[in-house]
Amino acid sequence: MSAMRLTRTYHFSAGHRLESAALSPDDNARVYGQCYRPHGHNYLVEVTVAGTVHPVTGMAADLEALDRAVDRLLLSRVDHHDLSSTVPALAGVVTTGENLARTFWEWLETELPPGQLRRVAVVETANNVFEYEGDGARGTP
Amino acid sequence: MTGGLVYATRKFTFSAAHRYWREEWSAEENARVFGALTVTHGHNYVLEVTVRGSADARTGMVMDLAELKRLVGDAVVARFDHADLNRDPVFAQGLVPTTENLVRAIWDLLAPKVGTDRLHRLRLWEDPTFQVEYFGP
Repeated sequence: MSAMRLTRTYHFSAGHRLESAALSPDDNARVYGQCYRPHGHNYLVEVTVAGTVHPVTGMAADLEALDRAVDRLLLSRVDHHDLSSTVPALAGVVTTGENLARTFWEWLETELPPGQLRRVAVVETANNVFEYEGDGARGTP
Repeated sequence: MTGGLVYATRKFTFSAAHRYWREEWSAEENARVFGALTVTHGHNYVLEVTVRGSADARTGMVMDLAELKRLVGDAVVARFDHADLNRDPVFAQGLVPTTENLVRAIWDLLAPKVGTDRLHRLRLWEDPTFQVEYFGP
């Protein structure tokens, strides 16, 4: 058995602002600070899957299938959108990096081969990375 | 200071050519499975080698990184830098030089020299958008 973790990095650009419907405007401004103002990012999304190396092809995952799934389920939904207003699947979600990582995980997990997904990381800026590895703690890989 | 495990990672780079091809398959089958990768092309690979251990009480080091640099340089970089991976003995018999197979080959080269007690993880970047992590068999 040669179990491996494979990570692909994807990019999208989107606008957002952090605003919770549960908070007053004053509290939103206080809690979220400058992120309460509409702004945007060049996001990177790192998707990590696990697999064992196929003896014939030498590949542990079908990366073209992964690319297609990520494009269809994730990038096409958010690229050049306002995450806080024009993405129906994000309605009601405060678009923090934490919530995006968990939501993207949920979007991908249902359609990837069972058990393949290991990690979704949302790189909001070079300084802020949010990683989600699902509910269950797993060992490596 | 008590000594917990520390993980130290050093990066290495090498540039190499490869193509994905299985001789026993038709050209059509190769193209269907491997797509554009059937044509010889190349990458600037980045290899991250992570060793683990407790920091030595006297030196404060998990491992002498100069030694690691020499071991990886001799066993991996000198072998694969500016090489055609398909012609390397590891792949010349038909093993497809995917990132997965290459990282495993590098593990097999390094494990006896670095020691499996110290060698923790290899992360091999094929390009800035794709990397494979391997923790050993």
